Amino acid sequence: MLIIKNLHAEVEEKQILKGINLEVKAGEVHAIMGPNGSGKSSLASVLAGRESYQVTQGEVKFHGKDLLDMSPEDRAREGLFLAFQYPIEIPGVSNVNFLKTALAEIRQYRGLPPLEAKEFLKLSREKQKLVEFDAQLVNRSLNEGFSGGEKKRNEIFQLAMLEPSLAILDETDSGLDIDALRIVSQGVNKLRSKDNAFIIITHYQRLLEYIVPDFVHVLYNGRIVKSGTKDLALELEEKGYDWLKEEAREKAESI
Amino acid sequence: MGNDNEIIDNIANKEYEFGFVTDIEMDILPAGLNEDTIRYISEKKKEPEWLLEWRLKGFQAFRKQKLPEWQNFTLPSIDFQKISYYAAPRNKKKYNSLDEVDPELLATFEKLGIPLSEQKALAGVAVDAVFDSISVATTYKEKLKELGIIFCSFGEAVQEHPELVKKYVGSVVPYSDNIFAALNAAVFSDGSFVYIPKGVRCPMELSTYFRINTENTGQFERTLIIADEGSYVSYLEGCTAPMRDENQLHAAVVELIAMGNAEIKYSTVQNWYPGDKDGKGGIYNFVTKRGICKGDNAKISWTQVETGSAITWKYPSVILQGDNSTGEFYSVAVTRNKQIADTGTKMHHIGRNTRSRIISKGISAGEGQNSYRGLVQIGPKADEARNFTQCDSLLIGDRCGAHTFPYIESKNNSATVEHEATTSKIGEDQIFYLNARGIDSEKAVALIINGYVREVLNQLPMEFAVEAQKLLSITLEGSVG
Amino acid sequence: MNSPSEVTLYDEVINGFEKLANQASSDETSDLRRIRKQAFENFRQSGFPTIRNEDWKYTNLTRFLKDEYALNVPNLPVPTRLIDTARIADFDCYTIALVNGVWDKTLGSTLPQGVELLPMAEAKQDPAFAEWFTQNHNDRFFTALNTALFADGLFIRVKAAALPDKPLHIIHAYTAGTNLMVQPRHIWLVNERAELSIVESIVSEKGQTHIWVNSLTEIVMHRDAKLDHTTIQSAPANVRLVNHTTVRQKKQSLYNNYTFTLPGADLVRNDLQARLEEDHTETHLYGLYLAADRQLVDNHTLVDHQKPNCFSNELYKGVLLEQSTGVFNGKVYVHQDAQKTNAFQQNNNLVIGKKATIDSKPELEIYADDVKCSHGSTVGQFSEEALFYLRARGIGEAAAKALLINAFAFDVTEKIKHAAVETHINRLIGQHIPVTQ
Repeated sequence: MLIIKNLHAEVEEKQILKGINLEVKAGEVHAIMGPNGSGKSSLASVLAGRESYQVTQGEVKFHGKDLLDMSPEDRAREGLFLAFQYPIEIPGVSNVNFLKTALAEIRQYRGLPPLEAKEFLKLSREKQKLVEFDAQLVNRSLNEGFSGGEKKRNEIFQLAMLEPSLAILDETDSGLDIDALRIVSQGVNKLRSKDNAFIIITHYQRLLEYIVPDFVHVLYNGRIVKSGTKDLALELEEKGYDWLKEEAREKAESI
Repeated sequence: MGNDNEIIDNIANKEYEFGFVTDIEMDILPAGLNEDTIRYISEKKKEPEWLLEWRLKGFQAFRKQKLPEWQNFTLPSIDFQKISYYAAPRNKKKYNSLDEVDPELLATFEKLGIPLSEQKALAGVAVDAVFDSISVATTYKEKLKELGIIFCSFGEAVQEHPELVKKYVGSVVPYSDNIFAALNAAVFSDGSFVYIPKGVRCPMELSTYFRINTENTGQFERTLIIADEGSYVSYLEGCTAPMRDENQLHAAVVELIAMGNAEIKYSTVQNWYPGDKDGKGGIYNFVTKRGICKGDNAKISWTQVETGSAITWKYPSVILQGDNSTGEFYSVAVTRNKQIADTGTKMHHIGRNTRSRIISKGISAGEGQNSYRGLVQIGPKADEARNFTQCDSLLIGDRCGAHTFPYIESKNNSATVEHEATTSKIGEDQIFYLNARGIDSEKAVALIINGYVREVLNQLPMEFAVEAQKLLSITLEGSVG
Repeated sequence: MNSPSEVTLYDEVINGFEKLANQASSDETSDLRRIRKQAFENFRQSGFPTIRNEDWKYTNLTRFLKDEYALNVPNLPVPTRLIDTARIADFDCYTIALVNGVWDKTLGSTLPQGVELLPMAEAKQDPAFAEWFTQNHNDRFFTALNTALFADGLFIRVKAAALPDKPLHIIHAYTAGTNLMVQPRHIWLVNERAELSIVESIVSEKGQTHIWVNSLTEIVMHRDAKLDHTTIQSAPANVRLVNHTTVRQKKQSLYNNYTFTLPGADLVRNDLQARLEEDHTETHLYGLYLAADRQLVDNHTLVDHQKPNCFSNELYKGVLLEQSTGVFNGKVYVHQDAQKTNAFQQNNNLVIGKKATIDSKPELEIYADDVKCSHGSTVGQFSEEALFYLRARGIGEAAAKALLINAFAFDVTEKIKHAAVETHINRLIGQHIPVTQ
């Protein structure tokens, strides 16, 4: 589904990603862990098409197409979804109007007619229930006045509505209390299927107790320095990141 | 606040500290303005022909110009024929060392707290002092010379560096710019000249002190500062004048030129005689100050603390021509009694990615009127230009006024401009809070005002910041009460 | 002032005054005739404003003054279709229509209870006319011109304590076969404790001929009166609108103004002045201008705090598309007597067009100390973050920008008290976006 080869990227002329290689297949859940500043969120931004990031080398194929060549909206329409670390508030844009527009545009791209108002309402109720998101959305502006937890749950609700094939969760667990974390994870687990895939970016192992990954990768200094199964996450939890940093440094020195 | 009246009375009764007259023999040109006046000045100063020509052009422009009408005060009628355009201490024109300076004159500067004699000088401040129209002494000249820095009186620069003067004089403020700039071009008597060579960081603050002493004189000095590529200079200007019943005109021109990667910091503490509590006398401070960021990444920063003058009317400006260049304006203006201030800045964004920041703090007391007037202009090529303006006004007493007139003109769809302004009375609950902690109202107000102006005073070099703070508390002493 | 010989319109006015004065004055009191004469004299001296006048610094009229305009309103068939375009779907209201400033009763004349309407031509006899018709001898420019030449308009009197059941929709339709300058003049009196909501729509036919509307409305709000006043300006490019409104507020009155200017009329100048003549009044001024093409939209407002304990709040938002120019000049003036004033003012602009211009001049002039006043002005673009968020959800760039323009306007549109009017405005906005640069 997603093939990343030797991806290099910079922001404000500073090299952030220094050769990422990663393959994600349908049905898989990948966790990307790493210390602060290792490039985790940058990877998410590059994949979603944030303009301030310049790709300097490498390629990314998504369903066989060149992802890097697409506008952010086309990436979304192709089935890529980024759950933002900091979902933005947009006063004056209502949640409902926003979702309707997004859904209609994605459907149009796929040659589908927009949903009737009734169908939309039904779908939105179903999905709200599925992800246990009970915030009143009508007459409220996008994320405006939402608590940190509500914003994150709204991201998962949007994920449920838009049904992407690949979802990237950028530190969705940060700032969540244990109940919210459980609700968000359960939502994600319900949405998991053999046809879709997830990339879960997180600093802590905590989230991975709820969403069990198939693979765990450790990102450090712009590169994936270690990959493994969920046991790697436990090891990291126990030993922290320092030993990896040490290992990476030794490796760099030996070269 | 129960003691409002008392405070206001105290402010009103506070007298001007620097109002003494220096008794010294002067060469004074009789009042009057015509071509002969200009020729006389030019000849006295042994100027080259081109400069006389330029002065005469300025005079032509002056005669064509009308007095402006847009200002937020009634412009008093000024009889330009009743002003004497040249006054100089009668003594040898040029001093070879400080020992030759009239002791009375030196005493005057001592009294003003100006470190004129080198041995007593505060470390790191080079001073050029202008007494009425003539530069009387420049300190630390030799030390600066070693670095290739030129710091001298304008007149000296005309004699010794005519190529630089000719190239840059009037290049930022043309003689036709406005009526007072035109008058200055015609009759300017002296002033300061600074040139910082490429890549040199001027190791000390350069400073000029202006003093109007003689009756019926105007002061028309001209300052020209050129910071060549990659250089840095911080320049300070201070002013005082004796107490006199009649108004005196100060129409100076300051031109700053910052080449690529150069930075000029220009600070003013202005304490001209403000007139008495009934508004009698005082200086009309009508000054044109403008800088240009000629090259990329240049920076010009104006800081002003304005406590004096009957009328302060000036807009230190920056032309942001070079890409990524920065303009800053930090101002504290205090008006009390019947003082008027109509001051602010202009930021002309021409180059790409240019930045400007304006912080203005007005304090009005007594019957003082304080206007902020500022222009932020974004040209069609100034992509990604940014401006931030914050303008606050504090009112002490119910007979003063605070006014804000920002002009924002943007012709670029990638520019961002933000202007905010607030006007309010000094906080009674803040004073009460401090009272409740055992601080009397006088100190409370002083504390609050100090906090209020801190953002601006922080921009001043240390010695000046202390002086400015003292000046503010003296000016507002009683508010204070 | 322009040298008179350069300006055709000026000459026309000067030469045509005698004739027009004779037509109108047969039934006028000597007082009114004197006022008109004085106003004419004032206009003769001032002429039309130029950019040398501080209040017209950013609004150059030269290109508009080049055209010739007739000053006599022609007799034309009633433009029913045009009037229908101004109707607001699902808006439960009383509707009346003025054609070229003259009330046409054939187009509906049912009125809310407690509201009395008269054509200005007839109201001149009413004692209230003499009482409230401004006799400002210092008038210059357009207001002086209107006083000198006005022929008709709408006189509204809301009886004391009247609480009409529905709002009043006033449709101003302008139509002419030739270039025309009209000078509608209105006086609206809202008596003590009365409450009314008025929505005005200004429409005109698209065409080659230019119509210059120089309108002047004087509103008097008596003690405890409330007025909600919405103006929707959506006339086409051949129309020039110069619109002066003065509101005089008495004790504890509440005045809300909502001014919407949409793409179209190539010149729009609104002068809105709220004069707070007594204490404890409340004033809200909301404005939204969406300008396109080469349109010039200029909003000048004045909130004149003369007495203590008054509250005013102003929010004007502008979206400048294509090569349009927006001008905002808002003045808050606080007199020495007006202690305990709270006055707030905000102007935000979204500059979209590559060749669009905005000139913003918020002003505070304050002579009292126990006040809380603030203003702010911003010029900016779309938030890149918001745009990215929307695009990352599959919303195309143009649609995302349209959403963000709507969101920007929302702060003003949400203030409208009638849902049908809000929907109507949103629909009008929608017609002019998605965005072209």
